[in-house]
Amino acid sequence: MSVSVELKGIGQSYPPPEEGGEMVEVVRDVNLTLGPGINMLLGPSGCGKSTLLKLMGGVRPYNVTSPTAGEILINEEPCTGPHDDAVMVFQTYANRPDLSVRDNVALPFRFGLWKKRVPQAEQDQRVNEMLESVGLAEKAELVPAQLSGGQNQRVALARALVLRPRILLMDEPFGALDAQTREEMQHLLIKLYKQQPCLVVFVTHDVTEALLLGDRVLVLSTRPATIADDFEISEPRPRSQTWSRSTEATKMKERVLNQLHESSTGKGSVRVSI
Amino acid sequence: MWNPYQELPSGTRRGLGIGSVSLVLVIWAVLSGLSLVAKAKLPAPWECIDAFIQLAWDVEKGESLLWLATKASVMRVLVAGVVVCLIGIPVGILMGASPKVNSALSPLVDPFRSAPIVAIQPVMVMWFGIDELSKILFLFLGAVVYLIPMVRDAMQAVPRTYYISARDLGASPWEAIRHAVIPMAMPRIADGVIVSISVMWTYITVAEYVNAKVGLGQLIANSKRFSSMPKVFVGIFVIVALALITYAGMTWLKKKLFPWEAT
Repeated sequence: MSVSVELKGIGQSYPPPEEGGEMVEVVRDVNLTLGPGINMLLGPSGCGKSTLLKLMGGVRPYNVTSPTAGEILINEEPCTGPHDDAVMVFQTYANRPDLSVRDNVALPFRFGLWKKRVPQAEQDQRVNEMLESVGLAEKAELVPAQLSGGQNQRVALARALVLRPRILLMDEPFGALDAQTREEMQHLLIKLYKQQPCLVVFVTHDVTEALLLGDRVLVLSTRPATIADDFEISEPRPRSQTWSRSTEATKMKERVLNQLHESSTGKGSVRVSI
Repeated sequence: MWNPYQELPSGTRRGLGIGSVSLVLVIWAVLSGLSLVAKAKLPAPWECIDAFIQLAWDVEKGESLLWLATKASVMRVLVAGVVVCLIGIPVGILMGASPKVNSALSPLVDPFRSAPIVAIQPVMVMWFGIDELSKILFLFLGAVVYLIPMVRDAMQAVPRTYYISARDLGASPWEAIRHAVIPMAMPRIADGVIVSISVMWTYITVAEYVNAKVGLGQLIANSKRFSSMPKVFVGIFVIVALALITYAGMTWLKKKLFPWEAT
């Protein structure tokens, strides 16, 4: 599968929260080319990770020019708005409480775009397969309130993957889950990725998670976000405990933590107005 | 005692409710029975019961004035209620779906929430005559100015993630409104309908003040004219009872339709 996301000199500033204030620069001059694989996006909280992620999928804020600078290419074509090949999974599941698990997963097929693209029979087949894959086949007729947090996140994940996106953007998707559920979800993601390889961009602030899942790890600095570090992990998934404790993994972890520490205390965090 | 979250056993709850109502009834009976308040101002409870029986079945005429009045008023509220929903909900949804529509329409709607709707009744009569039309329109206007802003607020209260996520999944803007925002707003829209229909019961007397041949408001107005205080009281009680029944029924229906709302 060939798929790529290219960021060329991307910058994003938001209007000041109060009148007469300075523009808030969230992202500055990010140059990046992403290919198939799981790309982990790490950074101190509030550094602009989410903003960058949204830009990659064409999710634009309503009220500001976006991006303020630079250009985004998806599959070598400029992307200016919501992109059909990119789907985003949010930390808040955004499941419809009045619909069953099955209907929640099938929701996108109610939209004209997908209704036209995917014939009814294939829609049903895809939904069934997806429910099976995320382990919710037996809970298909329940409503979200009857599910746990992890199961709700599975629904959201299934709803995204049922569209077979080439680009899957995940905004701290497991951030609200407890440790054990989180681990289950990480394994599920690895399994699903094997079934449907694509370009994943996964935002997290958990270094362990980044090392467990990523083919590539990108570390951002504090606001305005720039790429502070960028390295690859060749260890095949699923990664064992032994590997996690290995010198290689420990070194990577230290490298990331040092970088995060440096950027959150260092001089790089001076806010500049436009 | 001072714990807002205390769960009361149903016996205690009912007991306290019945107790307070009984207390008021006793005070009422004592005040009127011992003529501490003039009879013309405060009829005794038993006089009201007499009046109720009389209105419920008029032996001479062989008809129930109360039933006829109730039927007429209920019909007016029902017709106006349907029109209020048919117009108020779509307008509120459009306002909630687009800040532009909202900016254009809210100056026309919002001020009426605090306007003296009752003062508009004479205007309605002048414009639309003294027949059914002006009564229904008055009820409609009184309620719709509550419903529209409530529907709009219900739409705006839906977390924006639902809209954004639907758009991201390929929905057109209107599809995102239709499949993500409106369904989420439905319980609060239902609350709006319940409030605005309840408001209509408070306006029914005003609506029926002018040239109503039959109706609970007319019954009250007429009884007042003939200084029959017991009948006025009966009319008020019946309206209160109807309002309570409507409220309870609609609340029940809302729970049935949107069982997921609490989550």
